[in-house]
Amino acid sequence: MKSKELCKMADKLCMVVSEGTFDKAYMPLMMGTTAAAMGSEVHVFYTFFGTALLKKVSKPKLPGMFRLFTGVFQKRMTKVGIPGHDELMKQAMDMGINFYACATTMDLMGVKESDLKPGVKVLGAAAFLKMAGEAKTTLFIG
Amino acid sequence: MQKDATLDARGLMCPMPIVHLAKKVKELKSGQVLELLADDVGAKEDVPAWCSRTGHQLVGTEAEGKLLKFYIKIR
Repeated sequence: MKSKELCKMADKLCMVVSEGTFDKAYMPLMMGTTAAAMGSEVHVFYTFFGTALLKKVSKPKLPGMFRLFTGVFQKRMTKVGIPGHDELMKQAMDMGINFYACATTMDLMGVKESDLKPGVKVLGAAAFLKMAGEAKTTLFIG
Repeated sequence: MQKDATLDARGLMCPMPIVHLAKKVKELKSGQVLELLADDVGAKEDVPAWCSRTGHQLVGTEAEGKLLKFYIKIR
């Protein structure tokens, strides 16, 4: 592999998010903003239950019985400077992070293109896999 | 230590000190020294990692109890 390609690889982080719960919603945003702050190019691909997080307004809840404590978690996070989900996603976009909705599962989950936050692109698996192939790190969050 | 600006990230937890740090350095000129104040335990390892990745130079660290002071020379 050419050194130029290696260099390109080192600076890219890809993530796949397949769940729409509070924890799975924050993970890619916290990792992603950190990576972007470190100078990496970041791509996050949302599929299945994850697609709901890309709606204009999304209020993810903790999984199972823990959902009752979502408010407490949210308050604690606000206290340490981590904003609400939609606000953090907006900040992430301002940092240049790319967000994608999986074309097929969006349909399956009843999420329309017009429901998506501005800036979110609809993407197929092949296009995402091409990006992931060029990235040194790809994380699966689900 | 000599400094040109201070970023107070006390009370913020990972990843926010790094996120704010990345924004702040954009406002500074090459060669200037930024003082970062943080009390997130993660910052102890995160700030040096961020510096080595971004090429900004960590010229000093001080600890006063839980408070960490980082001095970063802008690339």
